[in-house]
Amino acid sequence: MPKIGVYICHCGENIAGAVNIEEVKKFVEKLPDVVVVRDYLFMCSDPGQEIIKEDIRKGLVDRVVVAACTPRTHEPIFRKACEDAGLNKYYFEMANIRDQCSWAHWHEKEKATEKAKQLIAAAVAKARLLEPLEDRYVELNKNVMVVGGGIAGIFAALDLANAGFKVYLVEKSPSIGGNMAKLDKTFPTNDCSACILTPLMVEVANHPNVELLTYSEVEAVEGTVGNFRVKVRKKQTYVDWEKCTGCGACLNVCPPKARVPDEFNEGLSLRGAIYIPFPQAVPKKAVIDPDACISCSGRWFGEEPRRTKDGKPILAPCEKVCPTGACSRDEPRDPNGELIELNVGSIIVATGYRVMDKKHFKEFAPDSPNVITALQMERLISATGPTEGKLIVPSDIPKYLEWKKKVEKGKEAKLEARKPHVITFVSCVGSRDERFHTYCSKVCCMYMLKQAMLLKEKYPDLDIYIFFIDVRTPGKDFDEYYMRCRKLGIKIIKGKVGGVQRLPDERLLVRGYDADLGKPVELISDIVVLATAIEPNTDLKDLARKLGINVGAEGFLRERHTKLYPVDTMTEGVFICGCAQGPKDIPDSVAQAKAAASSAMSLLAPGKMRVEPLISEVNPEKCTGCGICAPLCPYGAIEYVEVDGKRRAKINEAICKGCGVCTAACPSKAITLHGFTYEQVLAQIKTIARKGVIEEV
Amino acid sequence: MEITEGVPPVINLTEVAEREKEEFEKKVSELIIEFGAENLLACMQCGACASICPLARVGFEWYNKKLIKAILIGMKEELLDDPTPWACVACNRCTEICPRQVAPFEVMFAMRRLMVEEFAIPTLAIEGLRSLYEHGHAVYMTGREARKKVGLPENPPSTDSDEKALQDLRTILKNTKLAELGLIPME
Repeated sequence: MPKIGVYICHCGENIAGAVNIEEVKKFVEKLPDVVVVRDYLFMCSDPGQEIIKEDIRKGLVDRVVVAACTPRTHEPIFRKACEDAGLNKYYFEMANIRDQCSWAHWHEKEKATEKAKQLIAAAVAKARLLEPLEDRYVELNKNVMVVGGGIAGIFAALDLANAGFKVYLVEKSPSIGGNMAKLDKTFPTNDCSACILTPLMVEVANHPNVELLTYSEVEAVEGTVGNFRVKVRKKQTYVDWEKCTGCGACLNVCPPKARVPDEFNEGLSLRGAIYIPFPQAVPKKAVIDPDACISCSGRWFGEEPRRTKDGKPILAPCEKVCPTGACSRDEPRDPNGELIELNVGSIIVATGYRVMDKKHFKEFAPDSPNVITALQMERLISATGPTEGKLIVPSDIPKYLEWKKKVEKGKEAKLEARKPHVITFVSCVGSRDERFHTYCSKVCCMYMLKQAMLLKEKYPDLDIYIFFIDVRTPGKDFDEYYMRCRKLGIKIIKGKVGGVQRLPDERLLVRGYDADLGKPVELISDIVVLATAIEPNTDLKDLARKLGINVGAEGFLRERHTKLYPVDTMTEGVFICGCAQGPKDIPDSVAQAKAAASSAMSLLAPGKMRVEPLISEVNPEKCTGCGICAPLCPYGAIEYVEVDGKRRAKINEAICKGCGVCTAACPSKAITLHGFTYEQVLAQIKTIARKGVIEEV
Repeated sequence: MEITEGVPPVINLTEVAEREKEEFEKKVSELIIEFGAENLLACMQCGACASICPLARVGFEWYNKKLIKAILIGMKEELLDDPTPWACVACNRCTEICPRQVAPFEVMFAMRRLMVEEFAIPTLAIEGLRSLYEHGHAVYMTGREARKKVGLPENPPSTDSDEKALQDLRTILKNTKLAELGLIPME
């Protein structure tokens, strides 16, 4: 006969506040095979665990039922306690009388007490049928794939590489660097973004343990923790990267017709079909954008060149100017690029964010070139931006570029671009807005203050207005930064802008409200900067699906637990960091990246991993080989083998996650899910159906 | 008591800023800082000062917090004719409570100085100044009967009963900016 000990936790007031512990105890004492019933304020605490251990050591109990909170966080703790006291830890069962009982029925204390009794009785019914199980171990592949080459991905990759792990850093654009590479300066210290980022980009690219896979995307992921098999598509660059030296000769010869908005400058200028994303790109290699290329020589890759009358081949300008032959069109190129396969033990997702486009906000005159997003403002004031950091109104950027072209050719030219006198910032554009995103984008207040500060310090005569709903500056040195802005004379107005009107002279009429004065205000501004919301990348959902991880309602990746497992996901071995998890600034992204890297390290470092034996097993004598289970398995763990000349299902225990789908589906009841056998689960259900009365075995 | 004259229903910030740049030699905020409110720019408009300001409580329009905000965005003309600063009783509670050490009380008094400079003084204040010069009390005392009734001397032991002290005070006043501006007769 099993000797069952039942341990009831008060969880402070969380359980005891709704459940009458004494009444429950009296009920439980009478349940079959229950020999000990105890309660404690916090059963998970050290003294609480000691109560259980002592009963085991004394031989009073040989099955343990803890009635407390959720097994999701606490089952491992109590199992460990059982094991430490010398009991097989699978002789343990948990009844959750908090999350679905005391919390859910807080105002119906009698019913909560009744429900707690039934839940505990069900757990006791199952505990009577528990079997001892042994843990198993799987070998772990020690390579890690980091998806996303922004500041978070770079740091995660570097930490892992420095610890001796092989890292594949996969980035979808031709260069790593991410959004941070576009920033001019960074708050709260105003460090130059490129100065602190570029050396890291070089370091990660040159690291002997890092294999950089830029212009590549994750296509498919199979396997589980420790043994993921990843298919990565290296997109077609149309430039031979072995030969390309990044000299940039091709960039200027690409004809005007093939020019498209430059992603790096957030569309404020144009780039050619052949381009290097930015001057400090890593790797510094050119790619051809096949959608933009107009094949000006009249031939695509691998086609015969057209020839002049005297028989010379006509080459494309990029082809002609390339000193190394990297742009040659002689060979055909597969538009699908190349598919490569990686074997990794862990995956870190650091795919970052994008900012909302201004086009969504009709009320803010998005058609005006002088209404720009804050990221565009970064480019406008950056020394690597479309105007080399010269502050002019965006509507005059074409004039600037023309002037520059003339000057570069040695011609005399006068720059007739208008300088702004008034710049207005509008906060919470698309954030904290039920029509777009309900969340706060977290970094906008600080970057608006930063841009305003940089501008005001450089051009003290500028009139700068910042319209806020609230100024949010929680962070080390952040509020001091805000005060610095105020003391510079930047005009901070509480109240969001409701409308911007484009004027014929390309200035803008801004209508706002000053909550302090209690009056509507209006002003004419040369530039209006919209702090548009940070949002997840469009393909993030797709990637999440491939990895089997969740996205929240707002579209960002969901962590396993907000507080306790902030970089873990519901798929073991897959970690997340940076803005893919939610809006955050650079210090937070870096901290999270390092957390994700160390989580991957502590998972992989031992080289093998203990796996719970709670997996399914086929009884070949009952199996009829009907074929129902294999296609249902979400992990591809079931295959069919010959047993005594008959087709039988076989479960690969290294892959099985114990989800129970096959067990439930098997018409012959040939599959047992250890820890959740038919008998155990039915005993639980029956007990609940009989309102807590346990059927005698 | 509500004074909204001179402030349009919509504040045109461009006009305010341009007038500040073109018509005045200095920014309003700079003047107020010069006149003694050194920490003006640290104000973050939290409103603690207004919560305890007696002026705000009785309905004056430009109490501390609002006055500071108006100065920060460059308003001046709209504020000059307003009597609020002259009603400040200098209780100093705003200065005690301010989390940014702005000393809103100093802003009120700097505003008075600015108004004097601009000859924009309400009659109420002129009367007070005249009384100060003549009697040594900005608010001239009435109800001397009450003093007698509770056994106090009819005239308080101030300039009111001390001719020499009154003369000394007048000498001081004659040496201030007040005499220079000639706002009240000082013979």
